Amino acid sequence: MLVYNLFMTIRSKFALFAGSTSYILLHKILHRGGTSLPGKIAYQLDPAILKEFANKIQTVIITGTNGKTLTTALCARVLSQSGRLIITNKSGSNMIQGIVATIMAHAAQIRQANRQGQKPIAVLEVDEANVKAAAQSLQASHFVLTNIFRDQMDRYGEIYTTYEKITDGINSSPKAEVIANGDSPIFARKPYPNPVVYFGFADRPETGDHRAPTNTDGILAPTDDQVLHYHYLTYANLGSYFTPDKSFKRPDLKYAVTKVDSLTPAKSDFEIDQHAFTLPLGGLYNIYNALAAYALGREFGLCADQIFAALNEDSRIFGRQEQLHIGDHLVTIVLIKNPVGANSVIDMMISDPQPFSLVTLLNANYADGIDTSWIFDAEFERLHETKLAKIIVGGQRYQDFSVRLKMAGFPDQIVEQDFGKLIDRIKALPTKNAYVAATYTSMLMFRAELTKAGLAKGSF
Amino acid sequence: MTAYKLRIAHLYGDLMNTYGDYGNVIALTYYAKQIGVTVDYHLVSLHDTFKADDYDFVLFGGGQDYEESVTAKDLPGKSAEIKAYIEQGGSLLAVCGGFQLLGRTMEFADGKVINGIGVMSHHTVNLNSPELKDGMRGKRLIGNIEIKNNENGETYHGFENHQGRTFLGEGEKALGHVISGNGNNGDDQTEGVIYRQVYGTYFHGPILTRNGNLAKRILKNALSKRYPEIDWQGKLAAIPTESF
Ligand SMILES: [Zn+2]
Repeated sequence: MLVYNLFMTIRSKFALFAGSTSYILLHKILHRGGTSLPGKIAYQLDPAILKEFANKIQTVIITGTNGKTLTTALCARVLSQSGRLIITNKSGSNMIQGIVATIMAHAAQIRQANRQGQKPIAVLEVDEANVKAAAQSLQASHFVLTNIFRDQMDRYGEIYTTYEKITDGINSSPKAEVIANGDSPIFARKPYPNPVVYFGFADRPETGDHRAPTNTDGILAPTDDQVLHYHYLTYANLGSYFTPDKSFKRPDLKYAVTKVDSLTPAKSDFEIDQHAFTLPLGGLYNIYNALAAYALGREFGLCADQIFAALNEDSRIFGRQEQLHIGDHLVTIVLIKNPVGANSVIDMMISDPQPFSLVTLLNANYADGIDTSWIFDAEFERLHETKLAKIIVGGQRYQDFSVRLKMAGFPDQIVEQDFGKLIDRIKALPTKNAYVAATYTSMLMFRAELTKAGLAKGSF
Repeated sequence: MTAYKLRIAHLYGDLMNTYGDYGNVIALTYYAKQIGVTVDYHLVSLHDTFKADDYDFVLFGGGQDYEESVTAKDLPGKSAEIKAYIEQGGSLLAVCGGFQLLGRTMEFADGKVINGIGVMSHHTVNLNSPELKDGMRGKRLIGNIEIKNNENGETYHGFENHQGRTFLGEGEKALGHVISGNGNNGDDQTEGVIYRQVYGTYFHGPILTRNGNLAKRILKNALSKRYPEIDWQGKLAAIPTESF
């Protein structure tokens, strides 16, 4: 045993050295962050390398299918109020290799902080299937669970499979505290061995009796034979749920949104535990993300004022929606890839008081999801509640979207198959504001045209 | 003028609703509206009563394994009426899991076998079954698919995504023969099923949004049963068909 431990330690030290070296080299050679590759080198040398850091840092793991990236950014910002060094990963490095790379890139800073008697906090976005490995090796102290929605892209995307992967990781670290979205029924299916607190929406009376819209996922109670009822729904299958026989209901919330004052695409005014708060972002899902960060901050002993100061401080972290000018049009680019995401974008458009145009770009390459049928699960019929003035339909699978919008009652469309002509089409739109809702590769192809036209920088 | 109605039952629509299955309702509603027919949509789920005479069209979609197993437990209470509905010529579209559950048995990926309601004679095995040819085992059948119905000459386009492999039984015809893609089991070139006025398929896409010819055919069947005096064929021929 002793020999084994010694061996591991030497191996880890070597891996750390090799990884750091490759990080520096690659960084110099490629002039870029190189988040994944150096980590891969170190990880292949020794997967146990993270264990070396378990007692040197405190680790918070943020996971779930949607909202991880923004929630992680908000959590990092909130916890920086503690005065401790914060280490966080970029989205796209949320697998174990990326996490190794992130930690190793900060190894020197961690050592320095440790020497000064301080333990840095790693605030890590972790892919659902990597939760167990990350939590065990880093001995995570907190899990933040955002939600679990089905992603049509993922062919193994049964939400209960994802749930098992996450709970597997949580159960393997029973001392860590779980901070979960209480409005998501899946997070209360089974008891955890861990301490748990829940956050959610408590902005309406607990008196209604509703069902989720037919086309909603994850609405079965763990009793297996009861469809959930709701006092109210916020979006998708989230809300204050219960079963008619009262055997299953939303757990008590420790932290809650107590009021929603106003929502626009650019700004949300609401109250958390009676404290007024403004988020420079639209979309109910973003309020959930802020609430998760608030809950984490409170569990770390920060007071509400500190947390709100942190969240208000800088709106640059909210960079998920990109805006740019094309001619005299203000164009907002949003990524869409699944029904819950598309419905959130539609909600955002409903909250827009200005008339606008909509450009949809649908591709079906691997990175987009090769099955386009999800567009029929999103509620484009609700666009009738907006000030939508003009539609352009494009992308390699323009026909699918064209028919989708026709069937939603929008026969009047400009169909543009050619990415090269989109910019001119947008310039000719009758409204100042336009949204471009695009799947991943169609967004890249549109970006390439913008770059060609000198309207956007090459990389982003 | 009479107000014509199409009464739709969406069987377990809140559980069996993967990959745009609801889009089939959207498509039928789209065509129905253009020929002056109003759609009454009803969700018929767990513990609800299904009565054969209450509906002109039934949609039974696909679900995740968990929801499908829950649905299978509730189905016996409705199977007599579903059987009556089918045998008296009611129109029904079954997709993926719904298609499987109308047959004799189906097998989940983990090897658990459950009974369908057996109103139709096909059966479904999982992707590892010894019933499959070598080389066809172990993989999900995912991708674009095109089939042709040799009787009516129509072709249908869609996207298949299934682990289950279905073999048609006595009295069943395929919806079409595979031109490209895999179909029911990746082996015998059949895709889907036609039995009386029941159409079964593994197509998502969803099938009726991409194949207006089939949407119109199903709509004509359903409306002609309820309003035999009207020339639905003529009315439907006069409006455009979405097909891609
Ligand atoms: Zn399927």
